[in-house]
Amino acid sequence: MSLSRSPSPRPGGGWASPGLNSPFASYSGRSSPVRSYSGNGANSVTWESAKAKSAGVNGYPSFSTQNNGFFNRHYRKLSSSLPSFNKAGEKSYAEKEKLGRGRSGRWNWFKSRRSRNSFLRKRILALLTFIVITIIFYTTPMHYWWRRTSWLGGGKKHVIILAANQGGGVMEWKGPREWAIERDSVRNKRKYANAWGYDLEIVDMSTKKRYAHEWRESWEKVDTIRNCLRKYPEAEWFWWLDLNTFIMEPSYSLQSHIFKNLAENTYRDINEYNPLNITHPFKGEHLDPLSRSAIGDGKAESINLIVPQDCSGFNLGSFFIRRSAWTDRLLDVWWDPVGYEQKHMEWEHKEQDALEFLYTNQPWIRPHTAFIPQRKINSFPPGACSDEGNNTLIHYDEKERDFLVNMAGCEWGRDCWGEMYNYRELSNFLNRTWWEKFKEDWVAVALFKITGKKFRL
Amino acid sequence: MHLALPSRKTSNPPPYAPSRFPRIPTIRRRRLQTIAIGATLFIALIYICSKIFGDGDGIPSGTAPVVIVTVLDPEHYPKDYIENVKENRIEYARKHGYATLFPNITDYDLGGSPASWAKVPAIRHAMTNFPYSTYVWYLDQQSFIMNPDLTLETHVMAKSRLESTMIKDQPIVPPDSVIKTFGKLDGDHVDLVLTQDNEGLAPGSFIVRNGDWAKFFLDTWFDPLYRSYNFQKADTHALEHIVQWHPTILSKLAIVPQKLLNSYHKGREGTGEQGTYKDGDWVVRFAGCEQDATRNCIDEAEPFSKQWRTIFNARR
Repeated sequence: MSLSRSPSPRPGGGWASPGLNSPFASYSGRSSPVRSYSGNGANSVTWESAKAKSAGVNGYPSFSTQNNGFFNRHYRKLSSSLPSFNKAGEKSYAEKEKLGRGRSGRWNWFKSRRSRNSFLRKRILALLTFIVITIIFYTTPMHYWWRRTSWLGGGKKHVIILAANQGGGVMEWKGPREWAIERDSVRNKRKYANAWGYDLEIVDMSTKKRYAHEWRESWEKVDTIRNCLRKYPEAEWFWWLDLNTFIMEPSYSLQSHIFKNLAENTYRDINEYNPLNITHPFKGEHLDPLSRSAIGDGKAESINLIVPQDCSGFNLGSFFIRRSAWTDRLLDVWWDPVGYEQKHMEWEHKEQDALEFLYTNQPWIRPHTAFIPQRKINSFPPGACSDEGNNTLIHYDEKERDFLVNMAGCEWGRDCWGEMYNYRELSNFLNRTWWEKFKEDWVAVALFKITGKKFRL
Repeated sequence: MHLALPSRKTSNPPPYAPSRFPRIPTIRRRRLQTIAIGATLFIALIYICSKIFGDGDGIPSGTAPVVIVTVLDPEHYPKDYIENVKENRIEYARKHGYATLFPNITDYDLGGSPASWAKVPAIRHAMTNFPYSTYVWYLDQQSFIMNPDLTLETHVMAKSRLESTMIKDQPIVPPDSVIKTFGKLDGDHVDLVLTQDNEGLAPGSFIVRNGDWAKFFLDTWFDPLYRSYNFQKADTHALEHIVQWHPTILSKLAIVPQKLLNSYHKGREGTGEQGTYKDGDWVVRFAGCEQDATRNCIDEAEPFSKQWRTIFNARR
């Protein structure tokens, strides 16, 4: 065998090491090493070069050209463990199967078992990677940003407006219970907003004489929503919430609970549930077909306002409004001095009554308004709307895991803080983790049976 | 050293050999090219066809760009006067391919409010009957179109025309109301063109652009609380009210010089020189003749009801 290239000097021999060859290689008597190669002359034969030459003669190089790298050593094994394709097709290839070589009998079985093993290993690896990535995703703020980004989770498109301090300020002072209600309510919304990447805007609704021209007492929903439209330019839906509300199921996102399936979750025709007996649709012959249609154009995209109805009409304790030109117009005409002057004594519920009036009288409102079954976003506790007993359309149902409780009207003769506390505890109980359930439902019960004492774990 | 020896054949057989007969015949390169070209041509063809045969913005061809609305009061006006007014509009509309609508005051349920309110549902009615028309021109019945050559689009509503004629920073109610028209407004964004006389807004002749905004504007204007409020001049004062209180309405409003579409025959008391009718003006109106006991609408209209016919015939 002859080498196709000169052997690399370093690994096997040492002719490039100057201390070895310089005294023998040249007779110049110099002490400093001189570069000398075999091409320099006939007399420059060194021990190493002679050795190399003789190795070439007898065919056994003193240094190995094989088996000297990872890939060389493992070439066979690596390739045999690669997935093999087209085994059947190979048979048509003109080569004959040779006995004892390649794939046959036990060897074949052994090999396939090996490859199956590595398949399994790869799968396990992939699964582990997936689990690790999932854990990382949920333990770091990554999932928050995912949910927030408008083209991924879409959290940025939703803003929760929480009206704090309603009727406070000059009208009455807050006591410890009011502070506690505010603290719990705000914490509940903040947690929810943070979990899903929404924005939370807490507004101070305390009564102030803010307008020079008019004593516009607590007619500030409109201005607040307008400010939020300006403050969150990327948001699409604004969710108004009164302070006396509690999100019972923080695991529901607004998208999955309502907006992904807006058409099914809402109804356009008020005749489905019409406590105010509003004539719908309009009768006037001069109106366009859209305004006279019972359901507007029936498309989810045309919905700009989503309102729940309780036993006595619209309820603005929890409602959605969407950024649109239509909304700007509604917010603009919602409060009007002429209407206010004539009706402010009559309209106890202010914006709510005004909206009902607009809906009843102005045809342009209806094609863009949708109603939502009350318990979807605004369940009442048994104390509210209680004249006719419990109503499955109105009142909170623990078994069906209603999304939100609105303790509407609790400030008139009911115990707001008591209700808030109870619903908070109930929400915590319903949303226990499996570990908490295990501790409380199994371990504590078992300990109680054994020892006869109650344990709180 | 490059010796002419072939490299040694590897002793490791390839783990699999590529089959020469693939079971799924792959698409040849050439055929792939053909398919790609074919698909492109097909899509282009569909696009061109949709451009040619499709109806563009969904507006059916032959739609009148403008609807002229005049609310008639046959109870208080003689029949020939009303016929004359109708013919005036119809002749003009025929010349320019416009549409007309002549509802009666009694057609709409006004809930006991003054009859002048009927114009609001009447415009809404026109928008319902002609949903694809671009503009609705309301012209009340105490008026005649006197110049058949002027079209609404070029005379008033063209972007450049509107931008040059609109009166900026003008108090809504002269002489000095706090709320003024916008100082800068894009002609395309104008949805309502009004004029003023010396007492305030003059909604005897005005133009609304058909669309969602118009529905909002008209429904708001027609709110029962305004109709029951006893504004001194009913709908006119209600209009002044909503324009001044609601920026979504003010931002769509352009006030143009009175003579453009609302020249008065005999100046109402205090109507300035620029609002008085001169030959060649588009419209003549006998504004206020109804309210004023000393005036008579029919007598005032008499000379013009013949004059418009001569002008129209001369220009034919």
